[in-house]
Amino acid sequence: MSALFGTAVAVEAQKALASRVMISIAALVVGGIAALSLGMMLGAASGDEQILAKMGPLAGVGGWAGLVGVVAQITAAGGVVAFGVALSWMFGREFADGTVAGLFALPVRRSTIALAKLTVYFVWAVGVAVLLTGMVAIIGLAFGYGATDAAGVGELVRIPVLVVLTALLCVPAAWVATLGRGLLPGIGATVVLVVIAQIFAVIGIGEWVPLVAPALWAITPDAVPVASLLLVPSVPLVFGALCALAWSRLQLDR
Amino acid sequence: MTESSTPRLDARGLVREFPGGAGVHGIDLSIAPGEIHAIVGLNGAGKTTLMRLVLGMLRPQAGTVRIDGVRLPDAPAAMWADVGQLVEHPLAYAELDGRSNLVVAARLHGIGRRQAAEVADRAIAEFDLARYAEVRASRLSLGNRQRVGLAAALQHEPRLIVLDEPTNALDPAGVILLREALLRRAAAGAGILVSSHHLDEVARIADRITVINTGLAIGALDPEGIDLERAFFAMLHADDLERPAA
Repeated sequence: MSALFGTAVAVEAQKALASRVMISIAALVVGGIAALSLGMMLGAASGDEQILAKMGPLAGVGGWAGLVGVVAQITAAGGVVAFGVALSWMFGREFADGTVAGLFALPVRRSTIALAKLTVYFVWAVGVAVLLTGMVAIIGLAFGYGATDAAGVGELVRIPVLVVLTALLCVPAAWVATLGRGLLPGIGATVVLVVIAQIFAVIGIGEWVPLVAPALWAITPDAVPVASLLLVPSVPLVFGALCALAWSRLQLDR
Repeated sequence: MTESSTPRLDARGLVREFPGGAGVHGIDLSIAPGEIHAIVGLNGAGKTTLMRLVLGMLRPQAGTVRIDGVRLPDAPAAMWADVGQLVEHPLAYAELDGRSNLVVAARLHGIGRRQAAEVADRAIAEFDLARYAEVRASRLSLGNRQRVGLAAALQHEPRLIVLDEPTNALDPAGVILLREALLRRAAAGAGILVSSHHLDEVARIADRITVINTGLAIGALDPEGIDLERAFFAMLHADDLERPAA
């Protein structure tokens, strides 16, 4: 790893903090998922049949487990879109804004810059996970689960695990944004990730597919062996390496 | 070859052709320490492709590039700390203000955090950017963004400077600032390559002017000569007449 990796991380962090894009996406993920979950919980509590149908097997689960299941259901799809867009922006904007030319002829290697972007993205995703978990805890306490289901509070841990694993699964979007030299290819890849995950989930062979396993586990933990979650890091490792290679071999030939 | 006589930049037989025939078809180029070398040519002549080739933004299909005697693919990454460039888009992130952009550029050139702030402050003074130091680049005019980009390319006192049409969008005050900044750096030993599609103020301070047409170096203009514009167009015209017959 280059000695200038720390510098590249500091620069990428400064860009991410100064930009409204990453803060807006974090606010949308945390606020949006919390608001939707709250709406579904209130709808279910009032006996709304459509909402209960949407919740499926979760409809009969109360307390923290029920709340976490609802949040997981929304996060599984919504999280991929949000994280995919964030990565597409981080990588694709250098091409869209033309700033990529300034990332050549530097003592900091371009592969180092790509890995620094992924590092900043990961730290940001951990922050999103912590915020969302805090928000869900507040909703649960507001519903009185602190008193009625004190033992079930441990279920909350499924949220940060799902958020972080979902973020890791979106790394292919960064690679595609690089190959396609812009934001839209990355966003297109994100849509493909969502579609593939849905197909695997529908045909019911998702528990050993890294793209689907975290969501299935977070919604119904008993249905998925925890060991299958260990396969998830293979996706960011492979696509992170491809991304670094693509940046290293990059040419301004288009 | 001694340190003082090693060219800052030495390109031999560079070829990079694109579908349709555009590109660079075999150009030699050298820049000695302390020399300002201007390449002039019309739009599409191959100037930007040539600059991209010498900076590693494109890999040549044939030919070699040496910076301070070191051939490009073998050059250690640290060597680039002594190079400053602005090709097409200035390195100015929309979300960062003028000062932050300069600090980021200094840090990416390997300068430490504390020193980078001092380097940026000096650049703000040299390029008269004090009014824009706290303004986000997204709110800067094109010319002021170019000024930030030029400061970012020159502030770390590079030994080799490559600027593609650097006077683009600059006002006359900016052009004079740039000209003085380049003359100071050349006097300190930097080798400088600048391109222009016309014989602007910066091309006129060059020690050598090479004319590029359709991907080839077709001749040189004497910077001291009179009526450079006429000589430039005469050279292009003669080359265009010769080309179909070749």
